[in-house]
Amino acid sequence: MNELPQQLANGLILGAMYGLIAIGYTMVYGIVQLINFAHGEIFMVGGFGALTVFLWLPDGFSLLAAVPLMIIGGVICSVAVGTAAERFAYRPLRGAPRLAPLITAIGLSILLQQAVWKWYPDAKKDRGFPQFGGDPVHIFGADIQRGDFFLIIAAPACMLILGWYVNKTRSGRGMQATAQDPDTAKLMGINTDRIIVMAFAIGAAFAAVAAVGYGLHNGQVGFKMGFIMGLKAFTAAVLGGIGNIYGAMLGGIVLGVAEALATGYMHDVPGMEQFGGGAWKDVWAFALLILVLLLRPQGLLGERVADRA
Amino acid sequence: MTTMTTATTTTVLEASGVTMRFGGLTAVRAVDLTVNTGEIVGLIGPNGAGKTTFFNCLTGLYVPTEGKVAYKGTVLPAKPHLVTTAGIARTFQNIRLFANMTVLENVLVGRHTRTKEGLWSALLRGPGFKKAEAASHARAMELLDFVGLAHKADHLSRNLPYGEQRKLEIARALASEPGLLLLDEPTAGMNPQETRAAEELVFAIRDQGIAVLVIEHDMRFIFNLCDRVAVLVQGEKLVEGTSDVVQADERVIAAYLGTPFEGAPGAAEVAEVEAAEAHQEGTTPDTAAPDTAPRAATPADTPDTAPAADPPPDTAPPHHEDGATPRATGPEGKAP
Amino acid sequence: MTTKTPSTPDTPRLTKTTAGPHISTLPLPEPLARLLVLIGSAAALLGTFLAWTWTTAFPGNLTVTGYPGGLQVITLTGAALTLVFTLAGHRLRGLTWLIPGGTNSPVLLLSLGVLGTTGYTMGAISDHLGGIVNLEPGAWISGIGALTAAIGALGLPSDTPTTPDTPTSNPWQRLRHSFKAPAPPRAKTLPDWAEILIIAASFGIGLYVLAYGIEAYSELFIGFLITACFGATALHRAGLIPRLNTLTAKHRNVTLAAALVAAALFPFTQSDASYALIGVNILIFATVALGLNVVVGLAGLLDLGYVAFLGVGAYTAALVSGSPASTFDVHFPFWAAVLTGAAASLAFGVIIGAPTLRLRGDYLAIVTLGFGEIFRITMNNLNGRSGPDLTNGAQGIPNIPDLQLFGYNLGIEHDVLGFTLSRPANYYLLMLLFTAVVVLVFRRSGESRIGRAWVAIREDETAATAMGINGFRVKLIAFALGATLAGFAGTVQAHVSYSITPEQYLFANTVPPNSAFLLAAVILGGMGTISGPLIGAALLYLIPAKLQFLEDYQLLLFGLALILLMRFRPEGLVANKRAQLEYHETDQLDVPDQQKLPEGTVGVHKAGA
Repeated sequence: MNELPQQLANGLILGAMYGLIAIGYTMVYGIVQLINFAHGEIFMVGGFGALTVFLWLPDGFSLLAAVPLMIIGGVICSVAVGTAAERFAYRPLRGAPRLAPLITAIGLSILLQQAVWKWYPDAKKDRGFPQFGGDPVHIFGADIQRGDFFLIIAAPACMLILGWYVNKTRSGRGMQATAQDPDTAKLMGINTDRIIVMAFAIGAAFAAVAAVGYGLHNGQVGFKMGFIMGLKAFTAAVLGGIGNIYGAMLGGIVLGVAEALATGYMHDVPGMEQFGGGAWKDVWAFALLILVLLLRPQGLLGERVADRA
Repeated sequence: MTTMTTATTTTVLEASGVTMRFGGLTAVRAVDLTVNTGEIVGLIGPNGAGKTTFFNCLTGLYVPTEGKVAYKGTVLPAKPHLVTTAGIARTFQNIRLFANMTVLENVLVGRHTRTKEGLWSALLRGPGFKKAEAASHARAMELLDFVGLAHKADHLSRNLPYGEQRKLEIARALASEPGLLLLDEPTAGMNPQETRAAEELVFAIRDQGIAVLVIEHDMRFIFNLCDRVAVLVQGEKLVEGTSDVVQADERVIAAYLGTPFEGAPGAAEVAEVEAAEAHQEGTTPDTAAPDTAPRAATPADTPDTAPAADPPPDTAPPHHEDGATPRATGPEGKAP
Repeated sequence: MTTKTPSTPDTPRLTKTTAGPHISTLPLPEPLARLLVLIGSAAALLGTFLAWTWTTAFPGNLTVTGYPGGLQVITLTGAALTLVFTLAGHRLRGLTWLIPGGTNSPVLLLSLGVLGTTGYTMGAISDHLGGIVNLEPGAWISGIGALTAAIGALGLPSDTPTTPDTPTSNPWQRLRHSFKAPAPPRAKTLPDWAEILIIAASFGIGLYVLAYGIEAYSELFIGFLITACFGATALHRAGLIPRLNTLTAKHRNVTLAAALVAAALFPFTQSDASYALIGVNILIFATVALGLNVVVGLAGLLDLGYVAFLGVGAYTAALVSGSPASTFDVHFPFWAAVLTGAAASLAFGVIIGAPTLRLRGDYLAIVTLGFGEIFRITMNNLNGRSGPDLTNGAQGIPNIPDLQLFGYNLGIEHDVLGFTLSRPANYYLLMLLFTAVVVLVFRRSGESRIGRAWVAIREDETAATAMGINGFRVKLIAFALGATLAGFAGTVQAHVSYSITPEQYLFANTVPPNSAFLLAAVILGGMGTISGPLIGAALLYLIPAKLQFLEDYQLLLFGLALILLMRFRPEGLVANKRAQLEYHETDQLDVPDQQKLPEGTVGVHKAGA
């Protein structure tokens, strides 16, 4: 059937989005053991930032030329929100019991959603996002929309940049050290506060890139888009092995493809005829999460960490 | 201190071939250890030797990569709560009390595995529940009395001074009615007075019929207390035996104090330094301390370093049998 | 057998530090300050008897001289309290029992409250009617009086002495210091009947205050809220509330009975069914919050999708209770519906908990959040198109028949002892039974072997397992118990709401209950306590309901409130002693009285108390 390549292609696009967002979750969790609940909203803010840039540009401006500017705009917004959240909401709670930063994150998530809903012009409903016109490109039996090429290019590019950063730069290695043992890292003269800010910033930047991809793919952005995407991206991060950045992208791809395949083929499974289609895709993602936690809780690329008593 | 002679000596703990590997690092390597009823066994070794890791293997906190641990003949499952139910209790190197619970509550938690009143019992509050709670309270107070903390039963455990926190940890461990008690550095941070009291407490515990396995760095404490001592170095059990045997073993000494390095000052240079110092002070220098072994001048003979380091075992010195050598190993001399 | 270590004397907790002066926010001579407070609050009080505006366009009828109405009543109450507490501060005989704790901080708080309410009222009138000209002299008298009293109160010396560490350089710091008050010393033991009477009276007052709040229209509610908040804090600083807590701790069963009686009286005081409806909704919300408190407050598990268990119970009960829209053509008797609902929730609790409770707490948070969403999506999708028609999709299950218990039809009004019990009132009383059960379950499970195990696991799981506690099993019990309790509440909720739809079970919404609000109620109220979630639920239900004009901003403010709460008072309003210790490392639990205080400790004796 020709459908399989199409579903795979859809899954890869979706997976790239999940993966980019998941990196933000996994980086922050790896260093400060905090699920940044508000990360989904940082993704959403990035999307609106990109949209704003587009709206400022004069009519007739080529979308292709606009995209880099939109990325910059989105990144600025999301990084601003992300680092502000770290500085004012999370940092004061560093020593507190785990519940405190988690509740703060939930509050922040709600706050950001509502702020955009209330104050961004016309954000009560979804707002249209520019898309690339033109016929889809036919590759390997699948139709790929022109806008989706953005993610196909951007996701690997981001991974390469991140890999270079973490392994080749001083501050990247400092990040690895902080993730493994913050106290010793401090003793080695690493400014762990700055590292943490970097982690939040990088995560936010990637989320903004994902948001541009989301907008180009779906043609719209909305104030609620971060909630479910965030949830699934965290699932992807867990799937790949929390704390592992390659795991995050891998988890994202696996999740995206699984979702696409389930959506496309579930009705072929005997007994599940009525469960196909998009209405159930979130359920399958969740079911995958449970399965992973049951069978391999450390994730695909994660390692069992022994607890030194 | 009197030792109770037990009518039957049963093996309480039998660890055979316990190995623990973390990735590429082997923390514990094929260690065998046996503890019998009524014994107090010590486990010593330099920092990082794997003693606490070994404890964690015994109590199921780690699953040993190889080997098995048997308590009173039964192989133990690698789940900490089952190990405690079976009869092994422990304290921790860094005190792990329930800081925001009172002293009494801490000990009551220790009773958990010997009581069985579950949720339904708690909700229905039948006579069985009340009796069980009263019994737990009574036993907990008994244990607090035993360690000397009964007057502080309602104090928050984190408000206790350090020494009393350690005692509370012991009381809590005893609450599960163990047959074997594992103590991980019970006297860390204690002054000599408190250490002596801790000694008395451990003897009292042994007199109740509980075997004790204790990790310690305080040599006087260990050698006073223990019937047998095992030495762990870099994950391996180096030697095991009575205190005398262990103290005199040169590998043990080497592990604690090190072996002399190449190019260590020879006897000639040493004499030169001594002469210079004597000249400066105007007093007769300390002659080679009587505790230097009567050996030929080996590079290691530096009278200034009080307990003289032994040369590596292959140059077997003949002093071993001389039980009268007051040459001490370890930081403390042998207590009178 | 025992060896006694020579005891090292504990460092006395109250060390002799140089106690500094009692500073005030404003540098006024104390007699002048007291006079100002006296005059000011008297003026504010008298002003409420005059007219504050000339038209009844502003709700509450503040136009009649001699009959205070609406917001005037609130200013009146506040000013009267300020006056009384000031006089108590003058050591008037017969009034000193009011201030066992702090003397001046209650006055400060009350006067600020009066100022806030009066100022708000004046602002609201002006805004509503279009200009300050609409304020009558009465309003100005009260307003200026309140201001005077507040200024005077700011000049009163603080109740606690400053230490060398206390920052006092700017007025804001001095103000913060002035809010502190010493804890009240042990009260004289009164005969049992007197103490019980006090408890009953307090609950009576509490009921009245709560009913007042429920019936208030939105402007009145704001004024009420301001005064109530400042007033409650003032009573706390004065030492009255800590003393009440000691009494309730001493007579726990009486307290529970008194609370239930007070709660049961509530619907009898309501002639209007809509207030009873608010009451029953608060009660449902509070009961579910209490159930969540078992999971979050006692066992320390992060459950972010709790409302789904409520939904499971509700849907199950709805499906078996004979609604025409239900897929199942059965009509269980109520008790069977309840059991079915609870069993279904229990089952899901175990299904969700079993794989996730073995893992880190953060994973549980995400899984429960996911489950909450999945529940809603699934209920939506089982509509015959996307899936088998089990739940009627987005329309939900309407027309659930009213309950008939022992011949008493809860759906219709009844006349009982001369009072009218409306439909919501009937369900309210039914729900109260469930609430009582949940409270009992909470209390009994918390104070038992399993309750201790929960606390131990929460504190230090490694040490707890080393004590023989099976962490997984204990956590699963807590989680499953919480789910069951939610299921219980859900079965009643289904009947109260006539119909249930998937949209009622969102993660965050302006209408409680929903998972975010439930969690907030537990945390705001105070985890691990019984009254905490009840108070938190009441507040979180009433405030959005009453302040409808803020509708757009409600969730926004809610999110902000969560952030601020965790930053400044994570232990919540009703602080569980343990939680307070967990969050504020420097505090200490009270050491029982056997310890004698060393000589020369400052501030121990309180005249007359």
